[in-house]
Amino acid sequence: MTEPPVRVAEVSYGGTRWRVHDLALACCALEYAAATLRSPADRPVELGDVDLLAPAPDVADVLVVSGTVTDALAPAVLALWERLPEPRYVLSFGSCSNSGGPYWDSYCVTKGVDQVLPVDVYVPGCPPRPESLFDGLALLRRLAGAPA
Amino acid sequence: MSALPDRSRGVIALIDDKCTSCMLCARECPSWCIHIDSHPETTVAPPGGRLRTEAVLDRFAIDWSLCMYCGICIEVCPFDALEWAPTHDYAEPDAGALLHERDRLADWLNPAQR
Amino acid sequence: MTESWSDAVAGGLGVEPVDEFGTLRADVAPDRWLGAVRAARDSLGCTFFDWLTAVDEPPDTLRLVCHLARPPRDGAPMRRLLLRTAVARAEPVLASVSDVFAGAGWHEREVREMFGVEFSPPTDASSADRLLLPAGFEGHPLRKDFVLASRVAAPWPGAKEPGESDALLASGLASGRAPRRRVRPPGVPAPGDWGPREPESP
Repeated sequence: MTEPPVRVAEVSYGGTRWRVHDLALACCALEYAAATLRSPADRPVELGDVDLLAPAPDVADVLVVSGTVTDALAPAVLALWERLPEPRYVLSFGSCSNSGGPYWDSYCVTKGVDQVLPVDVYVPGCPPRPESLFDGLALLRRLAGAPA
Repeated sequence: MSALPDRSRGVIALIDDKCTSCMLCARECPSWCIHIDSHPETTVAPPGGRLRTEAVLDRFAIDWSLCMYCGICIEVCPFDALEWAPTHDYAEPDAGALLHERDRLADWLNPAQR
Repeated sequence: MTESWSDAVAGGLGVEPVDEFGTLRADVAPDRWLGAVRAARDSLGCTFFDWLTAVDEPPDTLRLVCHLARPPRDGAPMRRLLLRTAVARAEPVLASVSDVFAGAGWHEREVREMFGVEFSPPTDASSADRLLLPAGFEGHPLRKDFVLASRVAAPWPGAKEPGESDALLASGLASGRAPRRRVRPPGVPAPGDWGPREPESP
């Protein structure tokens, strides 16, 4: 990738309800699933109103990559991201999608989904807790221009 | 929000005045994500004693983008210089910012961070 | 007196099985591999194919292992069987068992990709395509001589001794202590043993 890894959205946030689609690749997907089970009262206020269960990338604003991206799967990951309508954001969830994580030495693992897609927020963890997902999404909303 | 369970693993904090730069955590880390620099210093000998050389810590960094939070570094440290801290809010827009240096690692045990 | 599972296997396969941690293991010659799998299914009732994989045993051998099971019946518990054979690394060819268990075809494709064992006849029309590895990948990753290049190339943070720093190592100055053999993590070959030639860094 020749694009810089930091992208600050220039499009006005608009205050609409964000729809988030999870690309469930590995263990991190289970923490994402646990996050979807939290009631709205059990999420931080800064997160605002988000739908974590966007059923398809075509109707999503944010793509969360949860898990290890392998070199064989990378073209499919790119194809899936291309289906998101603009403006679109990517949140890398967990060490594997941040950098390849503990599998950075593998013969078949892509060392971070940012080798394939532009990433807006990196959430550390292995796996990160649901609270970390909420914090990462709240950060992404701030970067995208949501009112504080 | 509901409280975190006891002993939640969020981030690993450094108690840097306990660290002797023994390099054990950096060697045992499976992900090779701990970076330590140190330099030797010779202490003043007490009367009748001999000079001792010890390693003084300069740089201690952990790359959270590689870390798998296994806790081997905490278990292996002979001086208990590493500890779990429950913080979970340290996402970054830039992966390079996930490389935390010594001051930031020492700050995780600061109550204001929790 | 009902026949024990061990006796049944010995009778059905013609080899004496070995009890390994509660599971029977039977080793057969490679030219009898297809016959043994077929006998296990037809004579011993092992109608459940679990998995087929390989183990690299240097210097000369690739071991093939197949796990089969006879489902519970008539009050008798499930019975398991590990069938093994060995092929030479120099010529790793083995009969395919996908005619006996159609599902074995996927496992044989994976073994072909990861270990380089050729199954005859070839499993299916697309057996030349990559299964799990990306297109253009060279080598057989699960063989023991396949080196993890990333760990050889990346500098090991644990290579420094207490009292050393990256700046000190880069400057080439002695640390003031007696020089020692550079510590290397287990399993990582020395730069001189593997990889491109480059001047030894201090």
